Amino acid sequence: MNKWFWLFLAIACWMGTGFVLFGSHQETDRSNTSLSGQAERIVSMAPNLTEILFALGLEDKMVGVTFHCDYPPAALRKPKVGTFWQPNIEAVIAAKPDLVITLGFEQQRSFTERLERIGFNCLAVNVETVSELFEAIDRIGTATGKQKEANRLVSDIQKKLNELTVLVGREDKVRVLWVVQREPLRVAGRETFINEIIELAGSENAIGQTIYKYPPIGAEQVIASGAQVIIEPSMTKEEVSSQQESAIQYWNKFENLPAVMNHRIYVINGDIVSRLGPRLCEGVETIAKCIHPELFRE
Amino acid sequence: MSWCLGGKNGDSKMSGIIEVEGLSFGYTPQSTVLKDVSFEVMPGTFLAIAGPNGAGKSTLLNLLCGMLSPRLGSIKIDGTAVESYRTEALAKKVAVVRQEFIPVFGFPVIDTVMMARTPYYSPLGFESRLDREIVAEALEATDTARFALRPLACLSAGERQRVFIARALAQNTPILLLDEPTNFLDLKHQVGIYDLLKTTQLKKGKTLVAVTHDINLAAQYCDAALLLGIDNGCQYGSAKDVFSIEQIEKVFGVKVFAGKIGQEKFFIPLGKFAKDGPQIAAKHYS
Amino acid sequence: MSMKGQLTARKLVIKVTVGLAVLLAAMSVCSFIGSEKVSLQAVLDGFGRQAAVNPDYEIFVRVRLPRIFLAAIVGAALASSGVVCQALLRNPLADPYILGVSSGAGLGAVIAVISGLNWTFIGRSPISVFAFVGALGTVWLVWFLGRLTGKFHIIGLLLAGVVVNTFFSALIMFLTLVAKSQQVYATIFWLMGNMVEENFLVLWCGAGCVVGGILVLFYIAPQLNALSFGEEDARSMGVNIGRTQLIAFGVAAFITAIAVSLSGLVGFVGLVVPHGTRLVFGPDHRKLLPLSAIVGATFLVVADTFARIVVAPAQLPVGVVTAIIGGPIFLILLIKYSRKVSWLK
Repeated sequence: MNKWFWLFLAIACWMGTGFVLFGSHQETDRSNTSLSGQAERIVSMAPNLTEILFALGLEDKMVGVTFHCDYPPAALRKPKVGTFWQPNIEAVIAAKPDLVITLGFEQQRSFTERLERIGFNCLAVNVETVSELFEAIDRIGTATGKQKEANRLVSDIQKKLNELTVLVGREDKVRVLWVVQREPLRVAGRETFINEIIELAGSENAIGQTIYKYPPIGAEQVIASGAQVIIEPSMTKEEVSSQQESAIQYWNKFENLPAVMNHRIYVINGDIVSRLGPRLCEGVETIAKCIHPELFRE
Repeated sequence: MSWCLGGKNGDSKMSGIIEVEGLSFGYTPQSTVLKDVSFEVMPGTFLAIAGPNGAGKSTLLNLLCGMLSPRLGSIKIDGTAVESYRTEALAKKVAVVRQEFIPVFGFPVIDTVMMARTPYYSPLGFESRLDREIVAEALEATDTARFALRPLACLSAGERQRVFIARALAQNTPILLLDEPTNFLDLKHQVGIYDLLKTTQLKKGKTLVAVTHDINLAAQYCDAALLLGIDNGCQYGSAKDVFSIEQIEKVFGVKVFAGKIGQEKFFIPLGKFAKDGPQIAAKHYS
Repeated sequence: MSMKGQLTARKLVIKVTVGLAVLLAAMSVCSFIGSEKVSLQAVLDGFGRQAAVNPDYEIFVRVRLPRIFLAAIVGAALASSGVVCQALLRNPLADPYILGVSSGAGLGAVIAVISGLNWTFIGRSPISVFAFVGALGTVWLVWFLGRLTGKFHIIGLLLAGVVVNTFFSALIMFLTLVAKSQQVYATIFWLMGNMVEENFLVLWCGAGCVVGGILVLFYIAPQLNALSFGEEDARSMGVNIGRTQLIAFGVAAFITAIAVSLSGLVGFVGLVVPHGTRLVFGPDHRKLLPLSAIVGATFLVVADTFARIVVAPAQLPVGVVTAIIGGPIFLILLIKYSRKVSWLK
């Protein structure tokens, strides 16, 4: 008869009611397309996935892309469903997709879970290495009924990559420092896909094994690396030239570094190398041109 | 020396509402603040506890209201040992007025006084009509009704002290303990507070115990007195008996000029620079 | 002498009812605001049918409503907890995170990610569960350390809270740096406070816990009032200090831990809403607790709506919005009602 007794009784009843009402899950049966069928309305949650989808000829079926999807230019005209880092679940639902393709990293993983809870078909692919890229293209091809195009895309890329690798294979490996950020100084380590790309382009990462994928380093390590080429990716296309100037100014303080002595500091368009996608070869080629310019002087 | 004069009332069939027997206490095992204190307070008495700083007056008050536990001896409130009272039950027997405290978040006067009725609230925590009447009465008695809605911080020290007394009154307990109720107050308010306390004692039959530095007012208003010394000595008896020049000079360790005007006794401490001081003292002792 | 200002059960019920009405109105309006247009008609249509492809209905029921309910629950929990922390610590700068909840939750979350566990607990990811456990465990630790300085020693408790918070924050930074997992960065993002739609069972149970907790706190509101005058005075007025402090801290920590496990660390609500409510309605905890809860819920619902639309389609972390909206509102209230506030003297 105590007020505490009544309160706990009320709470217990509330909880019990909750389990009765919501205990069993009901999923809305959304569509009858399984993952290996035809998808008519596709949403892509990353720029490189968009590029892959366009490359597979699925432009007409795409109903949503992120803000960062700017290649090919036709992608700019597609409806937007949020940014790469902050996908907008409402926009995705409004696009009424029957297939949503996402990347596998943490941010998007929870997003994928949320979509699946609501009942959408999702395909999450990991694209962190070159071989994972090929696998992803394959899986996307299967899910969208474009296996043939997928196989062709994969073999195209592989062929061009092979050509490039053979071309640069004849030269000695050049030590390259890939600078992701200047203040504080951070570089790409050996366990990144960037490392894979620059190795394909005929170079060796000037930094040895590190704990982190993108370790911050100090001046000592810069000098010890003996880098012969320094490459900085720029945030956007427009900034390339201005960043080039500031880069040269910044690196001048390491006057004994081979890269500085030989004026081999390059700033390139970050997009083509930060996205592991169909333009992989373009990226590798751009880098190869920085590393072995003599091979490309026709 | 550890003795207490005038402890118990030998022939009374009425037992005291506060019974202290053989009380000893110290804050650390090595020190002793109170030693073997015994006294009995009859219901409806106004008791003054006086003594020099460090004699243990406030400590005794804290022991009486149960905030501290005795090392030796016992304290009984209304026949039951203080320790065995539940907090709420004890609050219905003993109310305490301490040094004023302004809470961080401003409560108005009336809410402050109403809090005394907390033990009597309904189960859901609301006050009843009876509670409201008691609070109104307490506010009237202490002449604080006119700023009932003002926040505590907007009152003068004297007005605030009266509010805390009103709160203790609203608690409607047979015993009221006060810790230096006239500290920091001007003359008018000092007398005002004592008038109020005396009226309460006489009208409602409450038992009052006040720790005070002001011997003159205590002598004027109180029935009984407990004089505590630093050497752990204590004197208990009627105010008339305890407040004598010998006792005061001994316990306080200071020369005192005692005088009487009509019925009122007064004591003035004499320092080195008192005018006519040494002569008067010599005259008195001769 | 008039007793006009006095609190009665009836007046409180009226105030609470009006407050709830305002909250419900805000929730209804806000559920139609967002980055996508949702039409009322389409939503009502959707309630009847099954499996029709009705994106308005889907967004409303699956995204908006859960978020709004979540915001209301978290807002109510944080505001009530803030009231209690300020009452117990007698400190206007106290907020629900002051006794270690924030760093404890963060540490729990980081450990969950590093350990790589992947199971769920009624639909809650391991991060939420570990954050909950971390928050509660840390409060217990702070309480334990604080007690070592003396039984009811408030300053000791505060200092213990500061020390533990600092130490755990350093641990979190260290673990974040040495962890190999990239997911650790996502944890930091999660901790910044965000509203994500949860399934209804979780919301239901969370609401039950939070409202239940608030009712427990309401039961001890008169004791909290008395505690404002210090432990000694409160004891003389018949308040069992140990029991009151234990219940109050325990419940406040519990509902804060639930809020944090649901939505990460949303700042400012627990600090500003109690002050604002107190400035308008007075310091009596019997009024302050339920009304702060309602104001906190409304505030967070509105703030979350702002967070959703201000930079749409991206979203601001809710904590940013609460600070931006909360600061000026609090300032206005403070200037207007400064007469009532005693600690400004």
